[in-house]
Amino acid sequence: MGIMSRGFFAALLVGAVGVASAPVHPAAAMTYVETSYFAEQVARGEMPDVARRLPKTPSVVAMGGEKVIGRPGGTMRTLIGRAKDVRLFVVYGYARLVGYNEKFELLPDILQSVEVEEGRRFTFKLRPGHKWSDGQPFTSEDFRYWWEDVANNKRTSPAGPPRLLLSDGRPPRFEVLDETTIRYTWPKANPFFLPRLAGASPLFIYRPSHYLKKFHGKYADPKILKKLLRKHRTRSWASLHNRFDNMYRFDNPDLPTLQPWVNLTRPPATRFVGVRNPYYHRVDETGRQLPYIDKFIMIVSDGKLIAAKAGTGEVDLQARSLAFNNLTFLRDNEKEGKFETYLWRIAKGSHVALFPNMNVADPAWSKLMRDVRFRRALSLGVDREAVNESLYFGLAIMGNNTMLPGSPLYREEYQKKWAEYDPDLASELLDEIGLTEYNDDDIRLMPDGRPLEIIIETAGEDTEQTDVLELIAESWAEIGVKLYIKPSQREVFRNRIFSGQAQMSIWSGLENGVASAASNPEELAPTSQQQLMWPKWGQYYDTSGQMGQPPDLPEVQELSRLAAEWIESSDPARKERIWHRMLAIHADQVYSIGVIAGVLQPVVVKHGLRNVPKKGIYNWDPGAHFGIYRPDTFWLDR
Amino acid sequence: MFTYFIHRVLVMIPTLLVISVITFIIIQLPPGDYLSNQMAELIASGDRAATEKLAFLRQEFGLDKPMLEQYGVWLGIWPGNNGFSGILQGDLGWSFEYNLPVGEVVGDRLFLSLVLNFTTMLFVYAVSFPIGVYTAVRQYSFGDHAMTFIGYIGLATPNFLLALILLFLAKKYFGVSIGGLMDEEFIDQDMSWGKLVSIFEHMVVPVIVIGTSGTAGMIRRLRANLLDELQKQYVTTARAKGLTNRRLLLKYPLRMALNPFVADIGNLLPQMISGSAIVAVVMSLPTSGPMLVSALQSQDQYLAGSFLLFLAALTVVGMFVSDLALAALDPRIRLGSEAAK
Repeated sequence: MGIMSRGFFAALLVGAVGVASAPVHPAAAMTYVETSYFAEQVARGEMPDVARRLPKTPSVVAMGGEKVIGRPGGTMRTLIGRAKDVRLFVVYGYARLVGYNEKFELLPDILQSVEVEEGRRFTFKLRPGHKWSDGQPFTSEDFRYWWEDVANNKRTSPAGPPRLLLSDGRPPRFEVLDETTIRYTWPKANPFFLPRLAGASPLFIYRPSHYLKKFHGKYADPKILKKLLRKHRTRSWASLHNRFDNMYRFDNPDLPTLQPWVNLTRPPATRFVGVRNPYYHRVDETGRQLPYIDKFIMIVSDGKLIAAKAGTGEVDLQARSLAFNNLTFLRDNEKEGKFETYLWRIAKGSHVALFPNMNVADPAWSKLMRDVRFRRALSLGVDREAVNESLYFGLAIMGNNTMLPGSPLYREEYQKKWAEYDPDLASELLDEIGLTEYNDDDIRLMPDGRPLEIIIETAGEDTEQTDVLELIAESWAEIGVKLYIKPSQREVFRNRIFSGQAQMSIWSGLENGVASAASNPEELAPTSQQQLMWPKWGQYYDTSGQMGQPPDLPEVQELSRLAAEWIESSDPARKERIWHRMLAIHADQVYSIGVIAGVLQPVVVKHGLRNVPKKGIYNWDPGAHFGIYRPDTFWLDR
Repeated sequence: MFTYFIHRVLVMIPTLLVISVITFIIIQLPPGDYLSNQMAELIASGDRAATEKLAFLRQEFGLDKPMLEQYGVWLGIWPGNNGFSGILQGDLGWSFEYNLPVGEVVGDRLFLSLVLNFTTMLFVYAVSFPIGVYTAVRQYSFGDHAMTFIGYIGLATPNFLLALILLFLAKKYFGVSIGGLMDEEFIDQDMSWGKLVSIFEHMVVPVIVIGTSGTAGMIRRLRANLLDELQKQYVTTARAKGLTNRRLLLKYPLRMALNPFVADIGNLLPQMISGSAIVAVVMSLPTSGPMLVSALQSQDQYLAGSFLLFLAALTVVGMFVSDLALAALDPRIRLGSEAAK
């Protein structure tokens, strides 16, 4: 992971502390060039010209490094595995109030400027004249509408404002200063506010109020509302409102947006067409409005066909559903398919990891899963070398689900502890637990006589996980553990884990494998139901104790304490100590069984698609996959 | 013949009713419902009141009602939120996943399914009939062995594997884009010559893949039946009387051997429809298959139910057609009861 730039963690630090200032450009001196795509409409008078479409001070994008000024026009195609992935328009589009740049520094994007005082008072200045994709003004009213009429309305949000907006359990005080200035103030510092606005799936704290008011009981004409309710078969205006209010899901073509491409296709569909947003707020240095590409098309295709289709040159840009084991096939077909395959780094703590479900419902299994010796034995029984050699050409990093060598928090012991292949020691540990009886197939028997058969659930989206599991099954058979693979759909998969029906699951590891002490260590403590090793403990925290169960293992309780301490602490040295303690607990307790990490992500780029960096970090959050590399600056040189 | 016709039509109604009950029960069998699957997503988005919200939605969708009542509403014999509005009234229900009426979601997928399955059917008959006759008449010739060999391979190769191989070859040698039923630029366009050609190109592989095993089976059946007939006395007699081989074959044994050929429509249809669902998932065809599979996975009950009911109806109608054709073809069946007297 030496490739990982130092900027990455330096930047996360910046992100946590404040916002770097945006480069100032003399926007007034700029003359804007009309986009040919809209030229006709402008000539016919159906659309204002570009100067009137842009905000008074648009965001001027300086190309630099590998990036060059491009030409507008053309169509970019990519494949998605399911219709729901139309949300990738928001992810890849990456228009955020504040967003990360390629060095992972937070900069104002939709906002003209951000002022942070004492880490708790955030003053946002909008770009005057900024408009939604339907040409209506984007103002502080859109923020007020969301805060007062959506987030704090008992009917649209029965549970109050989203948790993510609370700091220390308290919501912010919201003020509108003028038409383009708003302010959020918390009683205590809130280091998470800005990063959440910059997320791949961001916290949207504004709404196109002019559109949504049509469905809001407070604003809409009751008669028209009644008709709409009947038409859409809904009983209350609140659920009608929420059905149309899908800023992230992006499946309502009528909902105005600020993203570079506007989705024109209403699901269900197998092809979604995103057309350039005529009111997008970014321009290049020559005064051309971004995005360069006129149409961004997402085509739904079965996940298993995506690699084959990419290999025959049917896409312009593709990373999703491509895995490292497709690399040989892709490289072989580069010439014929007229594309190049770039390799980006995946910055996850583990590319593939097993998660023993400690909240499994079956009491016999629960007892085993909570036994650290059992988890250690399973980890010791995984032949990571075999996985690495046969699936990743020996190029991946083997070891626990922890920090990668690029992180300042990396230590070899975190990566290697209980993670070296040692079937003898593993067998010893299993014997020690009392799993000493075998059946005729050389599989150990559980105390109640059932064979020790572990069913590992996968979301069944790619064959890579299944391949890894097949190899693990072989090495586990050596220590008398039988492994079965059970694929199911992602929602069902999660649900089975949450409810404790699943014994163990396979997924990727820590989202941010190159964190610094300034990044929040919440992933290491039970903080969310999405944590597959302790969904109920996570849920307990997530729901402030209303649902789920409190953690009952002392080490896990310590993790929760440490995570809380980290938030309160302002001393960097103490924060680092907390991180190390948490990582050490994880390495020793093996809550997740990391298999391999540091895998490369193939990115297929069609010849002629420019400004896609050759080397990049493929990460969900922070990163938004392509998002931080700004697909609105990609262009076609044909 | 007329009473036979009426009788068959009347039998179809209870059959479909029973099928609708069974599909509905089967869809409801797994624990939970669509909304419990949604829970994860709500909680992931930081919604503390997910359970309250879900209780509200459950009520709104009528999922809190007993199963019998849900079935009644779906069928249209019980008043739901919007009065009597169910299958009988032409309302297929509401798809939770897409937040749209099922009718809108299904759209032209059913039509494309129909076209695909019908074409496959034609393919099966067009290919298996001449080959079946040939292999029987020229038993143990080189041609017979070669066709039999290919036929067995067709029977034995898993459909999805065949699909992947053929897709690759079609791309490599004919430049047909992989998967789908048309080139992607045609997807939202109105029908045009170019689109028709593209659909036709993309139909070749799925039709072959879905049809192969059916074709192979059909060849074997026709061959076996014809061989039986060819051994019989009347053939020898006819030949002794000096009938030409060709005339003899077409006039007597082939007619006799044709019976199972026609009767098989009923077997072939369900086999093809279920087979095509898997192939359609692999090849990402915009037919009903992939949508049905995902609807079943996420327990989108009305969508899945309507699909299954439609496919069942297709099968029942196929059976009906095959029975009618058989009756027209074979007087022994048509007049069965009278002849016995």
